[in-house]
Amino acid sequence: MIDKLYKALIEKDRYLAYLEGFKMTLLLSFLSVLLGAAIGLIIATIKYAAVRNKLLAVPNFICNAYIAVIRGTPVYVQMLIIYFIIFNNRDTSPLLAGVVCFGINSSAYVAEIIRAGIEAVDAGQGEAGRSLGLSWMQTMIYIVMPQAIKNILPALGNEFIVLIKETAIAGNIAVLDVTKAATNIGVATYDYLPPLLIAASIYFTVVMILTKLLRSFERRLAKSDRR
Amino acid sequence: MIDVKGLNKHFGNHQVLKDINEHIYKGEKVVIVGPSGSGKSTFLRCLNLMEIPTGGEIVFEGVSITLAKSKEADRVRQKMGMVFQHFNLFPHLTILGNISLAPVKLKLMTKAEAEQKAMELLKRVGLEDKAEAYPAQLSGGQKQRIAIVRSLAMSPDVMLFDEPTSALDPEMVGEVLELMRQLANEGMTMVVVTHEMGFAREVASRVLFMDEGRIVEQNEPETFFGQPKNKRLQDFLSKVL
Repeated sequence: MIDKLYKALIEKDRYLAYLEGFKMTLLLSFLSVLLGAAIGLIIATIKYAAVRNKLLAVPNFICNAYIAVIRGTPVYVQMLIIYFIIFNNRDTSPLLAGVVCFGINSSAYVAEIIRAGIEAVDAGQGEAGRSLGLSWMQTMIYIVMPQAIKNILPALGNEFIVLIKETAIAGNIAVLDVTKAATNIGVATYDYLPPLLIAASIYFTVVMILTKLLRSFERRLAKSDRR
Repeated sequence: MIDVKGLNKHFGNHQVLKDINEHIYKGEKVVIVGPSGSGKSTFLRCLNLMEIPTGGEIVFEGVSITLAKSKEADRVRQKMGMVFQHFNLFPHLTILGNISLAPVKLKLMTKAEAEQKAMELLKRVGLEDKAEAYPAQLSGGQKQRIAIVRSLAMSPDVMLFDEPTSALDPEMVGEVLELMRQLANEGMTMVVVTHEMGFAREVASRVLFMDEGRIVEQNEPETFFGQPKNKRLQDFLSKVL
């Protein structure tokens, strides 16, 4: 076994391949989460505002359709469509295609997370803000959102964790992520199990660390709940 | 000061306010009583456009706020303080943050000025030691006094109270009413929806009785409680007094 691990990890400096792959996985996940959060926030805001503003009926309908389609189809199929059909140019970087794909996919889930988080804030909070003369926007920024974030954060962190694992399929569009690095090494050594176990433990470690970070951040946000 | 002309409010097909005409003068303390569902809270919430009227006009200090653009409406609300049944303090901010948020964000005061004013107001209600506390650490009566102070920090011309003591434990009602009494004595214009008949009798300059979306009777408190004319008001008073 040690011999196998040596082959999969040390020989020919193969650990560098995992490291490169790991960097790619993190980069892809991180950029995707940013894009997903940005689009998700816009969609959530439109959907939230549409409840009061009839002018937003059409954008609201588009947002609902977008969410339904994204959530109703597999991310793998979305990725293939985006890479082979939309980005069908040879020069497109696989990373860009990956970020667009996972960002769009994530945004549909994030939008629902944010919307639910905002709606869970007591309506009286918004009323109190408006009654003091703050505008709708100011009330959202200073009063509703800080409270909504407390509802949103755990679910959003979960979404990030799910996303990191989902990016494992990005090897299919030539992104050299940690999973792809592992299978490449498997091909070279005729032995798949050790590199895949190494890749799995890398994902596992990252997820564990993120879970811990998230929990401590949540605790800090809960400061005002303490009696 | 506040002129209400032909005010109507529908929720779907249900008409909650029916053609209300009323004038609230500067310095008046108007108390609105009535059975639940009579529209008194809705009437109050229409005054500062928390609810958008479906008909009629509200003129505040010469400006028609029902026709106003949202920016002007926001400016009008700065001059109309509102106190809610459930306090609605901002749980994520300290007491000092709760009070100084609006004056600072609306650029009416610097942070230092707003905090100084907040401390003065807190001292006045005897809660200066709670400045750094969070709302969750306060009792109901303290929360409601802070909510009143938060409105006062905007130096409003009129204060609207929407059942300010209905969510309080009985032993805390007194401290909130006492603060409202002080405000009344200082000449603040007040519109109060309440079930506290003792407060109405003592503080009101005028009491309105609402039933089924209309103001059916109004008078100064002594006659209002002593010689009610309307049959439904007589019924109502016999139940609550």
